[in-house]
Amino acid sequence: MAVEAGRSPLAGQVTAVSTFSRLYGFGSVYAKTIRDSRLAFIVVAGLLVGIMGAGLEAFGAAYSTAASRLDLQNLIDSMPPALAGLYNRPLNVETLGGSVSWKYGPFFGVIAAVWSIVALSGTLVAEARRGSLDMVAAAPFGKRRIAIEKLAAHITGMTLAVTFLAIVTWLGSKAGATQPGDEIPLLAAVGFAAWVGLIGLVYGSVAWALAPLVGRAGAAGIAGVLLAAGFIVSGYQPYVQALTIPADLSWFHWTAGNLPLAGHYDWLSLAAVAAVAMALFAVGIVAFDRRDLGTTSAIPLPAMPAALLGVRGPAGRSFGERLPLALAWGLGLGVYGLLIAASSASFASELVKSPDTYKLFQSLFPGHDIGTGAGFLQLLFAYLGYIVAGLGAATLVAGWASDENGRRLELLLATPLGRARWAIAGGVGVFGAIAAMTAVTMLGIAIGVVFAGGDVVTPVAGAAIVGLYAAAAVGVGIAVGGLFRNTFAAEVTAVLVIATFLIDFLAPALNLPDWVHQLALTDHFGAPLVSIWDPAGIVACLVLAVGGLLVGAWGMTRRDVA
Amino acid sequence: MTSVIRTEKLTKSYGTHRGIVDVDLDVQKGEVFGFLGPNGAGKTTTIRTLLDLIRPTSGKAYVFEIESSADPAAIHKRLGYLPGEFALYDRLTGGQTLEYFGNLRGGVDRAYRAQLVERFDLDPSRRFREYSKGNKQKVGLVAALQHKPELLLLDEPTAGLDPLVQQTFFTLLRERVADGGTVFLSSHILSEVERSCDRVAIIREGRLVQVDRVDALRDLAHHQVELRFAGEPPVGEFESLQGVTDVQVEDHLIRLRVFGPIAPVLQAAARLGVTDFLSREPSLEETFLAQYGRESAEAK
Repeated sequence: MAVEAGRSPLAGQVTAVSTFSRLYGFGSVYAKTIRDSRLAFIVVAGLLVGIMGAGLEAFGAAYSTAASRLDLQNLIDSMPPALAGLYNRPLNVETLGGSVSWKYGPFFGVIAAVWSIVALSGTLVAEARRGSLDMVAAAPFGKRRIAIEKLAAHITGMTLAVTFLAIVTWLGSKAGATQPGDEIPLLAAVGFAAWVGLIGLVYGSVAWALAPLVGRAGAAGIAGVLLAAGFIVSGYQPYVQALTIPADLSWFHWTAGNLPLAGHYDWLSLAAVAAVAMALFAVGIVAFDRRDLGTTSAIPLPAMPAALLGVRGPAGRSFGERLPLALAWGLGLGVYGLLIAASSASFASELVKSPDTYKLFQSLFPGHDIGTGAGFLQLLFAYLGYIVAGLGAATLVAGWASDENGRRLELLLATPLGRARWAIAGGVGVFGAIAAMTAVTMLGIAIGVVFAGGDVVTPVAGAAIVGLYAAAAVGVGIAVGGLFRNTFAAEVTAVLVIATFLIDFLAPALNLPDWVHQLALTDHFGAPLVSIWDPAGIVACLVLAVGGLLVGAWGMTRRDVA
Repeated sequence: MTSVIRTEKLTKSYGTHRGIVDVDLDVQKGEVFGFLGPNGAGKTTTIRTLLDLIRPTSGKAYVFEIESSADPAAIHKRLGYLPGEFALYDRLTGGQTLEYFGNLRGGVDRAYRAQLVERFDLDPSRRFREYSKGNKQKVGLVAALQHKPELLLLDEPTAGLDPLVQQTFFTLLRERVADGGTVFLSSHILSEVERSCDRVAIIREGRLVQVDRVDALRDLAHHQVELRFAGEPPVGEFESLQGVTDVQVEDHLIRLRVFGPIAPVLQAAARLGVTDFLSREPSLEETFLAQYGRESAEAK
């Protein structure tokens, strides 16, 4: 006998779910995913829009004459390969769009891709591991629909973020135009934004497809390696013959001819990338649908040596737990430092040959003698180094806070370990991890300087500033966690670091008052990579690091454990 | 007798939310003390206050006659604790986790720890994240027991354990008590409390409603009986029987409680032509609450 499907006869009167809550809120898996990702969306969209807006404004103001544009062209032509590979193809750099496309273009794609990888590797698997997905999957719709709604939510977020980017690109070029041809057409802005979104999604699709099979960490790791490798081989392929074949596997390389801001379009390459992303999304949906919920195969990785696990005490445990992450951050910073350092001397010598551009850089970055390799390293490494190290610090704070957020703390505090001792020992462990991160960074810079030739000690010693800054950020995070709640200690740290970066980056570009610029802690460091140390910034870092640790410990003794 | 745990009007509020209100406890050395109550009654809040993980809004808690917030480290040295919900280090193995918690206590008797691991049938070589819920619970139990604490504070300790491991756990509890230890365990499982505890406290909506010996509880044991008749129920016949209370009538149905032997009720029911009969032994909590309710009514 057939049984009619439909609402249970036992079900009473039900309230209809509103259309709005099906789109945002708790009315559907899609709506909740959108809601859960709102903070990440704000951060990513803010970064994309902020960097584009400031970049357009800064380039327009800095290169306001035809002569200065020619100077820039000459400078770019003379760039050593080690540095040139980090940037886009220099097409029509005499226009605002071309110069921004050259200088910042690939980085927009990287930002979007990092977001996609983090979001799509975890949206299903992390929830399955947490256990909440079991309950969602028990709802009267299939796993396939859950996967599709989760994916659709991320694509929606990405679409919105790049839409804002397109609008700011289009309007920003109108505001920042100082030469004929500077205004970016709407189609070009949309084309660039579409590239950013698709590059983000295609790398995210790798993580999405792999996550049901190998878990979040494995999927994010593989996608991250593909992203880094794709970025590097595409950038350096014009200068290194051996990279020709691997570059063909890079989606950056596939779309290298699509430079809408410079007036070059290659829609077909975007369609190809979109097709790959769609295929991988489909693979991920089917894999999630067919496999057992939450069952993944771990990728075998070498285990940490037992001596570094730190089971002898809380400081060692904190250090051991944070070390792999700190080394990963250090490796990223170190490789970047290596590339910049290796190219710094030759680029600086070329710069000196172009007096107008040299003067221009000097006026833009007063206090940095970019005519030397070390000065150039200070200029290019420090800006990105600070935000990367700061964000690294935020993730380490998250690790410190996870003792409480992950409900380990009450077991730890049930031992004779006091609250203050836990906070301080844990913080000391985090500082140790930052020292490891900084050491790896220094090593990368040292190798780069050795390649370039010149004084190794000064820039390497100066790189300690990223460690000091990270330690200060950690101090703030621990103070917040100790005084209030650990659940948002890492978030506050990340917001502080991003705000500092934006102030430091935007204030000069937007001609904001000096006091605004001085709000950024990083404005008070001097130029440590050329041995100019500003004691105020150093002392501030030390006070924030040590003071934050003590305040956090004091706060922990006063509040309830969550 | 020596008080190991003592609370005086212990109260904890979370803003406008109730935590616990005026809780007075006195747990003596050598006791296995059960703390019973439904979910959200305040069991975990009480335990976390004893540990100084949270601070009382008012009132005081003493463990080993030390005020809980005055010197928590001195208290923690002498106790073992298992939270109701916990997570440990995913990357460490069970063995490394136990070693770490042993080290935090300045070292433990490794032979005893190995014995505990063996008795719980725990594989210490697997990473914590790979354990099932029951095995994670075993790691927590060994961590709480490995230093032979004077006091065990256990929040729903048998959650996730299979019956054989539960047996091992209760044997270990008895051994701890035989060695002079004291156990305070929270539960909402009747059989767990009955089989292991000397005294029981019931907490309900944040307030302690009863503290008594488990033996006394057994004296309070009763049956809840439902009798269905074809016609008008003969209520008077049952009200006059020895041990029958709380008689209620609903159409053809009589509900009543029977304290003591149930045979007179059965005989009367058979004689009066009962068409259906249902008897149920209430839970420990219901037993206490029934008693508490009657005492409250009598007081009024």
